[in-house]
Formats: sequence, C-alpha cells, structure tokens
Amino acid sequence: MRLLNASVQSASGWHLPVAMARTAAASSGGAGSLGSNFPPEHMGMVHEHWRQYEALSIYWHLGLAMVYTFLMFTSLIGNGLVGYAFLTCRGLRTPSNILIFNQVGMDLMMFVNIPWFVVNSVAGHFVGWETGCDVYGFFGSVGGMGSAMNNAIIAFDRYRTIAFPIDGRMSGKQTTALAIFAWIWAMPFSIFPWVQVLGAKYVPEGFLTSCSFDFLTEGDETRFFMATIFTWAYVIPVTLISIFYSKLYGKVREHSNMLAAQAKKMNMKSLASNADADKESAEIKIAKIAFTIFFMFIAGWTPYAVVAFIGAFGDRSILTPQVTMFPAIAAKVVSCIDPWIYALNHPRFRAEIERIVPCLKGSPKRPKTDAMSDGKSVATEATGDAS
Amino acid sequence: MIPVIFLALVVAVKVFKKTTPNGKITVYLGKRDFIDHLDHVDPIDGILVVDNEYLKGRKVYGQVTTTYRYGREEDEVMGVKFSKEIVLAREQIVPMTHHGDDKMELTPVQDKLVKKLGPNAYPFTFKFPPASPCSVTLQPGEDDSSKPLGVEYTVKTFVGENSEDRGHKRSSVSLAIKKLQYAPPTRGRRLPSSLVSKGFTFSQGKINLEVTLDKEIYYHGEKLGANVTVNNNSRKAVKNIKVYVVQHCEVTMVNAQFSRHVASLETREGCPITPGASFTKTFYLVPLASSNKDRRGIALDGYLKDDDVNLASSTLVAEGKAPSEAMGIVISYSLRVKLNCGTLGGELQTDVPFKLLHPAPGTGAGEGGEKKSAMKKGKSQERSRYENSCYADDDEDNIVFEDFARLRLNEPDE
Repeated sequence: MRLLNASVQSASGWHLPVAMARTAAASSGGAGSLGSNFPPEHMGMVHEHWRQYEALSIYWHLGLAMVYTFLMFTSLIGNGLVGYAFLTCRGLRTPSNILIFNQVGMDLMMFVNIPWFVVNSVAGHFVGWETGCDVYGFFGSVGGMGSAMNNAIIAFDRYRTIAFPIDGRMSGKQTTALAIFAWIWAMPFSIFPWVQVLGAKYVPEGFLTSCSFDFLTEGDETRFFMATIFTWAYVIPVTLISIFYSKLYGKVREHSNMLAAQAKKMNMKSLASNADADKESAEIKIAKIAFTIFFMFIAGWTPYAVVAFIGAFGDRSILTPQVTMFPAIAAKVVSCIDPWIYALNHPRFRAEIERIVPCLKGSPKRPKTDAMSDGKSVATEATGDAS
Repeated sequence: MIPVIFLALVVAVKVFKKTTPNGKITVYLGKRDFIDHLDHVDPIDGILVVDNEYLKGRKVYGQVTTTYRYGREEDEVMGVKFSKEIVLAREQIVPMTHHGDDKMELTPVQDKLVKKLGPNAYPFTFKFPPASPCSVTLQPGEDDSSKPLGVEYTVKTFVGENSEDRGHKRSSVSLAIKKLQYAPPTRGRRLPSSLVSKGFTFSQGKINLEVTLDKEIYYHGEKLGANVTVNNNSRKAVKNIKVYVVQHCEVTMVNAQFSRHVASLETREGCPITPGASFTKTFYLVPLASSNKDRRGIALDGYLKDDDVNLASSTLVAEGKAPSEAMGIVISYSLRVKLNCGTLGGELQTDVPFKLLHPAPGTGAGEGGEKKSAMKKGKSQERSRYENSCYADDDEDNIVFEDFARLRLNEPDE
C-alpha cells in the first residue's frame, strides 16, 4: 500500500488508473482510508476521525473541483467588476461605497482559496502541508469573519443613510475606520489557530483538501474556542444585522406614514395618484433586500456553525467528509454572490457596471427585482442630466 | 387695498410662458411666485393655448404637484426613494368644463390674456390646499451633484384621453412655481429679548446676560441689531463673546431637525469682563445667502441658479394653529449669544427668536426697508410692479412675455 501511495505522489497528481486502483484497494482491504495518501511526516495533520472513512473516489474530488471552478469565475466576475468600477469611477467613491469595496476585499480573501482548493482536489491532498494549511485557514477565516462584520457595518451604514437621510450619513473617515475595524475584528480568531494558542489550530477537514479550525480534538480548550468563535463570528454579526435592518424598516415605515399624514392634511387622500401602491412597494422592496441579505448570511454561515458545533459538542459520527465539505461550499457561494447583492442593487454601481459591460443592460436578471430596475432608471436619468 | 400710489411704476404686465417640445401647446402664467397670505393663497391662474386641430378629440389636463425631496438621489440604496410627489390638483383644461352660467371667474391677468390670445386660449385656475407647505430648497454641498433637497411645486399640463393618462413628454409642459410667505403688514412693536444667568458650582455669584433685538421681524438683507448686556456678579471672567444668527430647519417628513449658523461674529471687545464689571454693546449681523455659498443644508427660498436667491423665510402659521402643524420644511431663526467663561467656567448661551421674511409688496413699510436690501432689490421691485399692475392697470397691449424655462433651470425633467 505504501508503494501505491508513493506512486500516486510521484505522479504528482492523480490519473484514472491509479485512482481506480486506489478505490479497488480501499474496497478490498480498507487500507485506503481517507488521508492515507498523506506521507508519514504530515500524517499528524489528519485527525483520526477522518481516517475511519474510506478514501474518496476521484469523482468526488473532480466534482468539487468543478463546482469551485465555477465559483471562482462567478467571484472573479462579480467582485472584479465591482472593484474595477469603484477604482475607476470617481463618482462611486462615496463613504458608503468604501464599505462595499471593503466587502470586495473580504471576498477576495476567500477567493484566493478557491484555485488553491482546485489544485488540492486535483492533487488529492492538501498542497502545502502544515504551512499551507495555516495560510489557507487564515485566508478563509479572515475573509469569513471580516465579511460577517462588514455585513453588519453595511447594515449600520444603510440604517444611518436611510433613517436620517439629511444628516445621518457617515463621513469617509468614519466608514474607512469602520472598514478597518472589520479587518481588526477578523484578526484575533484568525491568528490564534495559526500560532496555535488557546488550543486552536488549522487542520484539513472533509476531503482533506481544505483547511479550517480544528473542531474535532477532544478537550475543553477546543470546545471553549468553538463557542467563542461561534459568538464572535456568527451570533454578534447576525444580531447586529437583524437589529439594523429591522430598525431601518421601521424608519422607512415611519417616514411613509408621516408623508401619508401630510398628504392627508392637504385633503389629498381621494386622489388616485397619491400612489399608496408606491408606498407599499418601497417598504416591501426594503424588506425584500434586507431579508435577502440576512438570509444570505444565515444560509452561508449556519451550515459551518452547525458542523463545527456537532464536531465539538455532538455526535461526530454524522460528520462524513461529504457533510463537512458542504459548509465550505456554502460560505464560498455567499462570498461570490455578495457583490451582486450589494453593488448591483445600488443604482450608481449598476449604471457604472452597465457602462463597463454594455451587454449587461439587457440581461434577463433585471426584471427579477423591481428594486434594481427602479434604481437603474433613476441612475440613467441622473447621468442623462449631467451630459 | 388697491395701492394706487404705485401706478406710476407700472411699465408692463409681465407674463411667463412655456411651450411644449412639439410646439403645439403654450402655457402662460402671470407669475412664478404665489403668496400664502395665511388666510388664503394666491390662486395659480394661467392660460393655455392649443391648436384645436392638433388635439383631434383628445383632452388637455393640468395638474399641480408638490415634490418633497428629503434625501440625496445617490443615497437611494435598497430601492428607497427619498422623494415623494403628491398631486394636489388635477383638472381638465381643454375642452373647458365650465359652460353657460357656470362660467369660471377669470382673474384680471387671465382676462387680459384671453382677450389677447384669442379663441384658442383656455383659462385654468388651481388652488393650493389650505395646509400646503412653502417652497424651500436646501443648498447642496459642493460635491453634491443630484437634485437639491426641499419642497417644490410644479404645474404640469399634458395631453391624454383621460385624467389618468400620463401624457407624452413631447406634448407636456412643466413649470416650476414657488409658494412663498411674506411678512405681515406691520412689523410688531414687541422687541424680542432674553435674560439668562449662570451660576458656578464652586464659587458664588452669577453672570447675567440680556439680549434684546431691535425688531421682531427682519426683511431679507436687513441688518440685525442685537443689544447685549453682560453683568458679571460672579468670580469668573468672560473671555469672549460670540454672536450667531442661527437658521433652524425642521424637515417634518423625516422628523429631522438641524441648525446652521448663517452669520456669526466673535469678539473680545470689553473682554475679559472681570468680576463686578458690566458691558453693553449692540452687535450687528446680516444673514445673507451669498455669504453661505456651497454650505450644505442651508435653507433657501429660491432656486439655486437664480441670482436673487435668499435665505429661506421664516415659516408663518395662521392664527389658531400650532407651529407644529406646519408641514414640509419649517424654518425659524434665532440670534444666539454665547459667553465664554473660561475653560472651567463653561459657556453661557441664550437664543432670541426672530423672523426673517420678505416685506409684502405694496405695504409702505415694505418698500422703505426693501430699498436698502441689495439682495432682492431688482426682482422684488419687478414683482411689486407686476403685482400692482395686475389690479390697477387697464392697458391691454402692455404685456411682456418672458420665457419661463430660461429662468427656471431647476425644472423637473419629466
């Protein structure tokens, strides 16, 4: 078996006959357990839990690699467009948009890991071993926690902008400070596992082709670390996001009620074009977008939180490699969709991006959310005026 | 009420006109500024001239809308709209709905225009609803590019089959008008004043500050005189005196309030006012829009590109109504005096409210004070000329047409 492994490595990758041989060997003897292709000096990386599973067929690796490749392009296009628009268009460099740009930065951290993962899948093991694992884990962690906090900050910024449209907007300095704060927020629990304090470390997980926090090592230290990180990176941001968006929604309601009251005072209630429908849709639009953002966050990070919690506190026998890989994908998907959600329902970003990529104009995506099309028409009007 | 004395000034009736892009319909308005007299508001009276062959059975409608804009366009994320358009009136203008005995009463300027413009001239009259807010524009900052915040009014006419039609841009015309308030005919005898005093935690005695203004109502461009008296019976010294004219702006649609200093001075004259000393002096300040250019959030009466733009006038409410019932953007002013009593002493501050408005044309007091004001001189004379002529003049051919669009660069672009 050792020989076979050696041959896999010496081929510096897989090829079908070898893979088949490996599967055959696995089914016949069980020696082909997950992680058995790690050389002895790196065997320490792999937690025993994974070794009880059989090595995965190459199709699993291939399949995931394809999913990740797809994600890579989505992320590259979305984040690339938004980042490019922000950097090239002066008009977009507003205080609020610094936060959007920051989100692109966070997503980029996640993005770096995607091609790496593809390479790992192709290699069948973690390329870079311990050091690589630490770097990979660090990027993922900073990107994830940073964007969690950045999401909360964007929610705060939007609350300020919409609730106090006249004097509530933050200055560039304030938003820059908040953007930096998001990075700082991400640091402690990204650095601890790297330097292995508090019993935390980055280890390969799932297919052993990606790395993340160790939630499997027995002991209170690990459990304590998982609980802390859960609060820090999940509970606090989720709470902030829901507080800001629900306050925002309340304010929008309040404003429209006040406007309706003023219209009524002028005896305008009977007139059809006072557009009660319009008022409805403004609130519904807000609710929709706020819910989308909230739901995205929940959908992106809850699987990870659940898996980590099961690993640390629950019945870890259900944590098969496949189950464990799912959260990683979910988190990456969110980082790919982020720019589309944030920047593309922003009227001026849309206008700018449509200028860069004119063919997007007629994209079928637009009619889906009326918020977008509305915003767009405003934006084009504005540019029309300027010219 | 007819101010005969101004007949001598009458040169011509000025009428503003604007034509649709396709040139088929022209709307004439006797004025662009409509005055809220508290008990009534000037009606929006105009004439519409249309080629009947062009209509081919279609109708022409007119409407008055007010637009509240309470946030910048570029901040409209998440599908929020920071503006609200309310249709205040909508009526059919062509064909006329008044017939026979029901014939509508024409204002003098309408009468004159109908006679001059012939059978294709259709008069129309709209009324502002009783509680409608006054026009106010909040000055944008230097880097703001989108539409300014504030309350605007627009008269629009459009061609359609029924009143719910939106009309086509080519056959529609929009005229931006203003609803304004003028000062009441008499300025009042009461001199606003305020008396405050301040004690200190660890020392005996107080500093007394009394501020009295020389008028209750000021006209735009006029000098404010504030008599400041300081009696220092404490053991602290007054280091310096600051005097501000503060514009208070309440944006009722979003429940926001903010204040801006529109004129200020700081002096060390007579300072330090040592314990036991007293000091009296009258300070003069002139709050002007021109000295607040490019400052974001300063409330203005006029449109930004008008040369004669002035600070927003104080909002007046009809008798028996609470100021809190006022709608739109509510403006008030106060004179603020701040005494600096040193680092440990803190500050002693008081506000004296006053009103800042235009004199009502035709009131004697108005013309006298107005002459001095550099800001509004030309325009307001022109206005008063017209206002008066409207009632007193009977020379039918004496009509001057002025293009509406050129003067109102701030047109809504619909």
